[in-house]
Amino acid sequence: MTNPILSVQDLTTSFRVDGQWRDVIRGVAFDIQPRETVAVVGESGSGKSVTAMSIMRLLSPANSRSTGRIEFEGRNLLDLPLPDMQAIRGNRIGMIFQEPMTSLNPVLKIGDQITEVLRHHRGMSDAGAMAEAARLLDRVRIPSARQRLGEYPMNFSGGMRQRVVIAIALACSPRLLIADEPTTALDVTIQAQILELIKTLQEEEGMSVLFITHDMGVVAEVSDRTVVMYRGDVVETATTEEIFRRARHPYSRALLSAVPQLGAMRGHDRPLRFPRVDMTTGEIAPPQSTADTVRRDAAPILEVANLVTRFPIRKGILRRVVGRIHAVEDISFELRQGETLSLVGESGCGKSTTGRSLIRLEEPTGGTVSLNGHDVRKAGHSELASIRRDVQMIFQDPFESLNPRIRIGAAIAEPMIAHGLVSRRDAPARVAGLLERVGLSGEMMQRFPHEFSGGQRQRICIARALALEPRLIIADESVSALDVSVKAQVINLMLDLQERYGLGYLFISHDMAVVERISHRVAVMYLGEIVEIGPRAAVFENPRHPYTRKLIAAVPVADPSRRQRRVATAEEIRSPYRSADYVPPKRLFREVGDGHFVQIVDDEAAA
Amino acid sequence: MSGYLFSRFLQTFVTLFVMSVLVFGGLHMVGNPVDVLLSPTATPAERLEVIRSFGLDRPVWEQYWIFLGNALKGELGNSFVFNQPALDLILQRMPATLELAVTALLMALVIGIPLGIHAGLRPNSVLSKSIMTFSILGFSLPTFWIGLVMIMVFAVQLGWLPSSGRGETTEVFGVPLSVFTRDGLAHLALPAFNLALFKISLVIRITRAGVLETMQLDFVRFARAKGMPERRIVSVHVLKNTLIPLITVIGLELGSLIAFAVVTETIFAWPGMGKLIIDAIAVLDRPVILAYLMITVVMFSVINLVVDILYSVVDPRVRLEGK
Repeated sequence: MTNPILSVQDLTTSFRVDGQWRDVIRGVAFDIQPRETVAVVGESGSGKSVTAMSIMRLLSPANSRSTGRIEFEGRNLLDLPLPDMQAIRGNRIGMIFQEPMTSLNPVLKIGDQITEVLRHHRGMSDAGAMAEAARLLDRVRIPSARQRLGEYPMNFSGGMRQRVVIAIALACSPRLLIADEPTTALDVTIQAQILELIKTLQEEEGMSVLFITHDMGVVAEVSDRTVVMYRGDVVETATTEEIFRRARHPYSRALLSAVPQLGAMRGHDRPLRFPRVDMTTGEIAPPQSTADTVRRDAAPILEVANLVTRFPIRKGILRRVVGRIHAVEDISFELRQGETLSLVGESGCGKSTTGRSLIRLEEPTGGTVSLNGHDVRKAGHSELASIRRDVQMIFQDPFESLNPRIRIGAAIAEPMIAHGLVSRRDAPARVAGLLERVGLSGEMMQRFPHEFSGGQRQRICIARALALEPRLIIADESVSALDVSVKAQVINLMLDLQERYGLGYLFISHDMAVVERISHRVAVMYLGEIVEIGPRAAVFENPRHPYTRKLIAAVPVADPSRRQRRVATAEEIRSPYRSADYVPPKRLFREVGDGHFVQIVDDEAAA
Repeated sequence: MSGYLFSRFLQTFVTLFVMSVLVFGGLHMVGNPVDVLLSPTATPAERLEVIRSFGLDRPVWEQYWIFLGNALKGELGNSFVFNQPALDLILQRMPATLELAVTALLMALVIGIPLGIHAGLRPNSVLSKSIMTFSILGFSLPTFWIGLVMIMVFAVQLGWLPSSGRGETTEVFGVPLSVFTRDGLAHLALPAFNLALFKISLVIRITRAGVLETMQLDFVRFARAKGMPERRIVSVHVLKNTLIPLITVIGLELGSLIAFAVVTETIFAWPGMGKLIIDAIAVLDRPVILAYLMITVVMFSVINLVVDILYSVVDPRVRLEGK
């Protein structure tokens, strides 16, 4: 065995909270060998980021302290004086963070932010550093690197910014790269590019990587060995193969079983609940299958035909329209009672705008939307209010969609009272009933939103949506912000409610694996258009449109034996911005299976 | 950019017009200047003659129409008291006020920014707490009272600094200035510091808030992870972001420093515009008041324009565009 690059022994970090020292991580220990990738995985609050920050000593010394040993290149980092530590940071150890949008200083040029590292650590001249910076941008595959050095971060997309951040972290050829959730904020195809880039650069540089993530799929893709953390403790350390095959600790097994795996639904026609896992014993109860809830005999509750939503961009003194964002372009679909239709696609594809346009939270530009037989676009003020009663929305961020100053009981009762469904006096009883139905207790109604966890808040949002007894729920990225185990519980709850009330769901998500789990039918959106729509099994097992295939291929597979290598490209997600005189082409669809339609790709149409 | 400048020019013009209507109407209501200017022993014939010569016998709208016509030619009327063009009177006094205001502003920045940065970096240190206490005092004590106390201490008891006037001036491009002579500087010190005190407190607070906020941001953490020394993080990464709110406030404050230096100028007998306007109000010298307020509007507009341009230089996310 060679000497490890980094050896963490008995690392304990405490934070001072209200004058009390509290341990956040306890006795963390692991080694990283040369050229090895080690993943630290865990849910929020597990202490994985604190571990990374402790190694770099980036926690504020005023209210945090670390004990133990962190040995790097023969020295204990915890004992080093600050100037020596600064000479290691960014030089011998590079670090990248989760949020590419905020990691770069918005008011400094990209070039300056790269060259300051080179000038500081390697004593390069201004001109030399500039030339080296251009070479670095080239290495992280940023097109026309030299010109882009003079631009500001706002001119770069999220994926491109993360490339710049990687270029900065690798500027001085570090021995170790610490990547703290580097792809969590990125779209799935961009995530695949960045993971590939990190792997390629790791091989070229021969460096080691410490990879912090909550995503078991990413772990399976990148890491040689894996450290599983739970509430501040390391519960298991093993090779990634072993963790996925024969995890010993119950928590590791629970974590793995809660991970939605793309392709796990082969052979099931209907949505499937996640298995329930006992966190102490690690025993897995087989998932209950769902009943057939789709009402094929009745007319669809939602019919959308040729829906178009565009946003004008105005410029100049006269505010002339110079272009339009074609957020939603000529889409048609229908949804039956008890059915889940998922809209899936990457950021900017128009999936959220579609959801908002259906109940005119965004005013559509054209097309028809019919809900329960009512024409939404022609509805007057009072008719729209009654239509909206039947359709409720649940949003992504459970922290922002509840007013922090209103007790949750009042928040849930408000829509019922407003619509005259229940008197003010009878409201509490109804609210208590609703809370129990989403797995909370009626006594919680006097509490404020901050007293709940993220998963509980999302349950409250679901209870609020259910209050009006809707027939359709539009769930806009409703589980995306939740931890895996909580995500599994909320999805199980949604499936229960569908069985019980015959709810229709329009499930808007970017997460292919969750979509596969929950949907009856799937529509793939790209640049405002639906490119493929059909039964879930058909779309996932027999994808026909090139974009659907690309999307599915980009999802990391939570199985280290099926690891795939991709070509590191620098393709960007295209923008739906068009000039004012642009007339979108008429799209044609081909039926490739029962109810499975694919947009005819341009060259195919020409042939 | 040219579209932007054009639309800003248009806005200034509209503001000037509205301002002139308001002031003209307002001044017409607050009393008759003839009663104030004329001695009580004047005969009715003399009285009529004066009224006619000022044009006060005509209806208000006609007076305003004449004023507007002249204003477009660049004439804002003659002072009732001095019988000189009001604009000339004001422009003569302007250098003194500008000198006082700019000196006060520089003091506010040179003293306020470093203190604010310190208070932002170490919010819990004893020095920071003293700085913040000082800034509360600077905000809350009335300017005239501090001015009087400063005269008592530094001019009367210690005798270090003179208490009134501009002292010796030198001509720079035909403009008399005090800052280039020892005596002039001595005369400038007390009134400028008196005027600056409130602004120092303001700059301290804004800088502190900006530094506190920026230090929490991800890019500061990333800069540390890059191994940048703390000195560079503060002086480059943090300061440039802190300047953004500071520029906006400072711009507005410079306008108010110039326009409302009245109190300080009165206490220290500084021969600036403020003194002139107070005298003009006392005798209802309408043309002077009107001209002064018009100049104030132009000055505020110019300062705001400069602020916007500076803003776009410091913050690349801001683009100037006509609307």
